[in-house]
Amino acid sequence: MNPANYLYLSALLFTIGAAGVLMRRNAIIVFMCVELMLNAANLTFVTFARQHGNLEGQIIALFVMVVAAAEVVVGLAIIVTMQRTRRSASVDDAHLLKY
Amino acid sequence: MIRLAASETLIPAPNIEYYELSPILIVFGVGVLAVLVEAFLPRAHRLHAQLALCLTGLVAAFVVVCTLTDEAQENARAVPQKVAAEGAVAIDGMTLFLQGTILLLGVVAVLLLAERRLGGEFAASAATVPGSAAEKETTRLGWVQTEIYPLLMFSIGGMLIFPAANDLLLMFVALEVLSLPLYLLCGLARRRRLLSQEAALKYFLLGAFSSAFFLYGIALLYGYAGSVRLSDINAAVSGSEDNDALLLIGMALLAVGLLFKVGAVPFHAWTPDVYQGAPTPVTAFMAAATKVAAFGALLRVFYVGLGGAKWDWHPMFWGVAMVTMLFGSLVALVQTDVKRMLAYSSIAHAGFILVGLVATNAEGLSATMFYLLAYGFSTIAAFAIISLVRDGSGEATHLSQWAGLGRRSPVVAGMFALLLLAFAGIPLTSGFTAKFAVFSASASAGGTPLIVVGVLSSTVAAFFYIRVIVLMFFSAPVTDGPRVAVPSLTTALAVWIGVAVTVFLGVLPQPVLDLADNASFLIS
Amino acid sequence: MGNTSNGEAVLFWILAPITVLAALAVVGSKKAVHSALWMAMVMVNLAMFFAVQSAPFLAVAQVVVYTGAVMILFLFVLMLIGVDSSDSLVETIRGQRIAAMLAGIGFGVLMIAGIGNASVDDFNGLTAANSAQGGNVEGLAALIFTRYVFAFEAIGALLITAALGAMVLAHREEIGEKLNQKALSIQRFKDGGIVTPLPAPGVYARHNAVDMPALLPDGTASELSVSPVLRARGDVLEPDDSVAAEASQRAQLGKGSSS
Repeated sequence: MNPANYLYLSALLFTIGAAGVLMRRNAIIVFMCVELMLNAANLTFVTFARQHGNLEGQIIALFVMVVAAAEVVVGLAIIVTMQRTRRSASVDDAHLLKY
Repeated sequence: MIRLAASETLIPAPNIEYYELSPILIVFGVGVLAVLVEAFLPRAHRLHAQLALCLTGLVAAFVVVCTLTDEAQENARAVPQKVAAEGAVAIDGMTLFLQGTILLLGVVAVLLLAERRLGGEFAASAATVPGSAAEKETTRLGWVQTEIYPLLMFSIGGMLIFPAANDLLLMFVALEVLSLPLYLLCGLARRRRLLSQEAALKYFLLGAFSSAFFLYGIALLYGYAGSVRLSDINAAVSGSEDNDALLLIGMALLAVGLLFKVGAVPFHAWTPDVYQGAPTPVTAFMAAATKVAAFGALLRVFYVGLGGAKWDWHPMFWGVAMVTMLFGSLVALVQTDVKRMLAYSSIAHAGFILVGLVATNAEGLSATMFYLLAYGFSTIAAFAIISLVRDGSGEATHLSQWAGLGRRSPVVAGMFALLLLAFAGIPLTSGFTAKFAVFSASASAGGTPLIVVGVLSSTVAAFFYIRVIVLMFFSAPVTDGPRVAVPSLTTALAVWIGVAVTVFLGVLPQPVLDLADNASFLIS
Repeated sequence: MGNTSNGEAVLFWILAPITVLAALAVVGSKKAVHSALWMAMVMVNLAMFFAVQSAPFLAVAQVVVYTGAVMILFLFVLMLIGVDSSDSLVETIRGQRIAAMLAGIGFGVLMIAGIGNASVDDFNGLTAANSAQGGNVEGLAALIFTRYVFAFEAIGALLITAALGAMVLAHREEIGEKLNQKALSIQRFKDGGIVTPLPAPGVYARHNAVDMPALLPDGTASELSVSPVLRARGDVLEPDDSVAAEASQRAQLGKGSSS
């Protein structure tokens, strides 16, 4: 098997994630699709590290994991806050923003 | 004791140029101190401590940036050129110019954030549910969410790294460091909190989406070049002919992430909603400083790293610049909300700045940097003025409410009119100088069609700016319309600084133009 | 090293289709909880891909950080928000799904064609790089603390921001004095409402579970005895069926004994 197959797989996963972001309307699922995209990018990094024979790609993947963890904390905090607000009395104006 | 076996190699200690990096380190250090202030100081003293700390830190960092520029000028070269921190950070003319700009805009932003007289723009306690008893109680007690200051400092720190990053990994980290605090700050408005939180969520989801594209672009470029350092990528680009597809797709995806931060069409959809929903001081800061940092990164990636592939990305940016200018100007015409109008105008301005970028010569670089400085100060002052026009329920941002404002408060309306004229690019304002610099750089690089489109959309834009001025000065005031609140000293200072810079750069632009010319130098 | 070992090929061809199907399920699941579980599966599979591609440290980090921390955080938040919440961020745009799917397919074809076009055949392998410093972890450490040390430092700012942000948005400080148990119980009686614990769910001979409401003395179902979450999900049974069944059975039993 040619290791380039990993690249096809990661491209496929990235595309599925991107399509999911556009298709779903639940904020948490959209966010999970973004995580899927980041994971796909990590697979690409690791595969290219193997191709080039240097560890830079693995380092980047490690950094991406840390960044993603921080991003998840912030994102979920925003989602939880908004959910709390929506449930309270002032739900009257739920869709204030246009689009 | 752990003893190393003789065969094991020791990692050589990294070489870190603390002096060259000190603007960044000072800002991060102040951010960390500000967190400690939150933890250990009693609530009553926090606000003043934070203000003193942040302003001192930003000014100190700015002084270091100035001395760095100065020292380099004493040595034969006009600009410093050093790659710091094991080659990860490029300290060159562009870095220092943009870092200086960001730090000054940061000072103005801190002044805006500190507004207390109008009741403040931020929630007394962001964790309380809107409308709850706890919210009323915290508001009554006069609490302030002083965590906004460390968040702002971290964001500024990220912005200082972003245009200086010499490898794509550091650039990605900087992108996140500057964005995460902004997502949070967007959701902390005091009034219309659900709108603000919705803006934060929308900004966050779209921002995370775009940074995923950015990351995949990095992955493909890594696959292409075998390294993420810009100089290595440049060597790979100019060295070989094969593997073109990885380069092209990677480049396009990288551009998606950066153009999103800049707010260029077609990645602009978040701009109006987020600008409208976020607390006005945050909007002001975002509109001014994020653009500076993101354009800096765009310049560095595409000039330094992908300069050899210029003919591949050049047409793409041409198209984006044209569409952005036209779209921003045309859609701004039909807006009825002042904040949304300025948001679309900022999209149009992103297009004008891109015109400077696609010139791809030293002139274009210096014009772009000058434009960023001029636009940053005008826009931060314009949003500051918006936060002053209020009625009973807070800011009055609907355009119809602004009718006749010039008769009631001629000074403030006059200043706003001046800023609008600067946006339109009328002579004797900074906007004119900036647009002229950008267009002349483009002309020397053969960008005549771009200039035609640029002038055309400037004309369209001038129409709606002047419409607002006419509305303010020549139409009858609405009854029980909003009035201009008297702000505290800090906001007034912020507005005056913005207006003064706008006028100064319009009347006497030469010193700053020279500075930008000297600084238009990139190293890799 | 153009080709991989047979073992790796077998692993790939088994796991890759599973990963793709799981990813599709993340996007396609109706319930967010199911999406999260499929997501965990994708992540574990990726960890295995990392392991076979000479990245053992990343494989462990992937399981610990992603599957262990990130996905669990997702699940926590889903539980916190509750299953009855329906949140739609974007308003429905006509034909959005079709457009998104077409855009996705177009993008995917472009990417795969691009990678296929590129010459990525000559794989060097990581044997040399991994052994240069003594091992994979040592090699990574050498890079982190030299070439990427500044990014490593900058990431500290990111982590502080995340912690601070979570505090700002979620930590509610106590205002005024904290109520003790006595004050709380007085408050409860003052407010009226239910002062006793809520009634337990119904326990019948045939149906012993939380989704069966208890019966009040007059024979009607008690709303309070089942969780509102179950009710919102539509998972609550009606006691009538069960009671009727029991009654008819009793009647039959009665007949049997008389005859």
